[in-house]
Amino acid sequence: MKGPDVVWYLCVAGFLFSTGALGVLIRRSPLIVLLSLEIMLNGANLALIAFSRHFAQGDGQIFALTVMAVAASEVVVGLGLIVAIARQKLDLDVDKLSTLRG
Amino acid sequence: MIPAAWICLLSPLAATLLITLGWNRLSRRGAGYLATLSVAVSFVAAIVAFAALLGDSPNERYHPSTLWSWLTAGQLDFGLRIVVDPLSVFMMLVVSGVGMLIVLYSIGYMDGDDEERRYFAYMALFVFSMLLLVQAGNLLILLVGWGLVGLSSYLLIGFWHDRPSAVAAAKKAFVINAIGDATFALALFLLIQRTGSLNFEVVFTQSIHGSWAINLIALGLLGGAVAKSAQLPLHTWLPDAMEGPTPVSALIHAATMVTAGVYLIVRTGSLFEQAPKVLELAAGLGAITIVMAGLIALVQVDIKRVIAYSTMSQIGYMFLAAGLGAYPNAMFHLMTHAFFKALLFMAAGLVIHALAGEQDMRKMGGLNRLLPFTYVCFAIGALSLAGIPPFAGFFSKDSILAAALDGGWYGELLWVAGMVGTFLTGLYAFRMLFIVFWGEPSGFVREHLMPGSHAHAREGPLSMTSTVGTLAVLTVIGGFLQFANVWTPLTTWLDPVARPLVEASGTQEAVSSILAVALGAAGIGIAWWIYGSRKAAAPRIAWAQNLLEHKFYFDEAYDFAFYRPAVFLATGLSRWIERPLVFGSVRELVQGVGLLGRDTSRLQTGLVRTYVLLIAASIAVLTVVFVAVR
Repeated sequence: MKGPDVVWYLCVAGFLFSTGALGVLIRRSPLIVLLSLEIMLNGANLALIAFSRHFAQGDGQIFALTVMAVAASEVVVGLGLIVAIARQKLDLDVDKLSTLRG
Repeated sequence: MIPAAWICLLSPLAATLLITLGWNRLSRRGAGYLATLSVAVSFVAAIVAFAALLGDSPNERYHPSTLWSWLTAGQLDFGLRIVVDPLSVFMMLVVSGVGMLIVLYSIGYMDGDDEERRYFAYMALFVFSMLLLVQAGNLLILLVGWGLVGLSSYLLIGFWHDRPSAVAAAKKAFVINAIGDATFALALFLLIQRTGSLNFEVVFTQSIHGSWAINLIALGLLGGAVAKSAQLPLHTWLPDAMEGPTPVSALIHAATMVTAGVYLIVRTGSLFEQAPKVLELAAGLGAITIVMAGLIALVQVDIKRVIAYSTMSQIGYMFLAAGLGAYPNAMFHLMTHAFFKALLFMAAGLVIHALAGEQDMRKMGGLNRLLPFTYVCFAIGALSLAGIPPFAGFFSKDSILAAALDGGWYGELLWVAGMVGTFLTGLYAFRMLFIVFWGEPSGFVREHLMPGSHAHAREGPLSMTSTVGTLAVLTVIGGFLQFANVWTPLTTWLDPVARPLVEASGTQEAVSSILAVALGAAGIGIAWWIYGSRKAAAPRIAWAQNLLEHKFYFDEAYDFAFYRPAVFLATGLSRWIERPLVFGSVRELVQGVGLLGRDTSRLQTGLVRTYVLLIAASIAVLTVVFVAVR
């Protein structure tokens, strides 16, 4: 098998996931939060494909494709929501969207 | 299978359903006619079934028919099953025949009541239930009919539900009957355990092992019969049941339902015969009831209550006969009693109707010239009740007394009680007649029956007078159905189902008849002396008066023995158990859940960020735990 060892892929995947998670946690713009979520998903995808390659089985790749499809759908909904919020002339700030407080 | 029997059974049920579903679309009069028609159809169908049985040879007169399997459990299989045999056909004829007349009478009596339709629906339901009871082909269906007549009786006693006394009376009747239903059901459980079936031909042909078992079964059945037929000690509901409309008293609480206990003993005679002591107990209870009810009737002032106590007393005669094994005599008296007691009630109904609902005899008097037709009918009923020939009561009551003479020393004891009862019957029946119809019209009567109006208009519409007249004719001729030792078609007819255990000789018949008529006449004579001619005042014995006016303190005793402790227990449980423990714990629970909810809701900040952090933290914890556990 050509290319680097699976460990290197996992390192990149972990880095990507952590970057995304950090973005979700500390950024306030919903657009950036959504973007960070995508980065987290891509990190997970990378790990899936790396393992798939490591064990020489197709399952991980199929799962990664499913995740992409779900991610695409999610972005459609998320962006739709963001546009709707913008239309209402509300602040694009996740901390201010807190009407669900108990 | 005889299809007419099913038509007879289901026709009143159809009327009930039609009246209930039709409700306002059906006119009030229409409901009355529909109910009458349905019972008339039943009567015709019963005659057809009777004719079909006549065509068979006496020992083949048994036609069971099962519509479907109603209840199956393991080895047991109870069908919706009816039996047509001489006994059930006899009861079908009495129930539907008298029922038809009384429902027709109700059209006039209930005219103008706000809820006539409900009344007629209940009446038809009652006739259906009673027919189910008498036609039942196994004891379970019999119990179903037994419960349904109790229900319709409850509904009809409480028909005027805006009167608190009527509601209380209905409740009392239902509760006391429920005691009887319970013992009846327990007897059936034991019977199932012993014989594995409740079908008549199985149950009545097997002999049951264990004397305690058969005695318990017979006692349970007797308990049901005693409660339904208002015999001692479960009799207290019947006088109160007079709160219902008068035709209801005539149909349910005189002619048919209260005689169901007698029917049950005759029907299950072969079980009772295996427990002779219980049978003797039934006869003894009947004898005590005869005398006690007769005594109480002497001091009652409500015209319907006097007749109610006389009903208890007359059913006592039937119990006496059934308990001695003189089944045909019991059934004969059941039939004649249905005629003359329905007649008395309905004649009393005419009086009550004419006097705008007044039932207190003290306000009546001198009605014989104002209501001559009612007077004649009432007198026929009273003469029959007192056992004066040639009216129906004479034949049936005397045959019972004669049969008692044939029952050994115990029978002779019962015979004496019966004779005392005969005297009392003449006394109270004619006390009532003289107070109500003789003397000068009272002010109350003159107020209601102005001399200018026509007698016919006063005595009620044709639907009422014609039925009372029909019953009067039946009371005159009904007794000739059977004349002891000479002409006994009823005994012969019932022989395949209920063969009598005692047979009175000609001498016994003659002695009983002469003595009974003499005593009845003596009772009438004393009643005339005191209440008719008013030559003597009724003797006043304070303690006896008190005892009788309190009906031997049965109500008070039950109140003290059962009602008070139950209420005491209930209030105690409510105060010490229910309120602190049940209500308290529920309140605590509600408060706890509320608090929990309020605290938990603090977690919900509305900030996406915190949610994410929580998720991340939980995953971290879970991961650590997962790794640690491995």
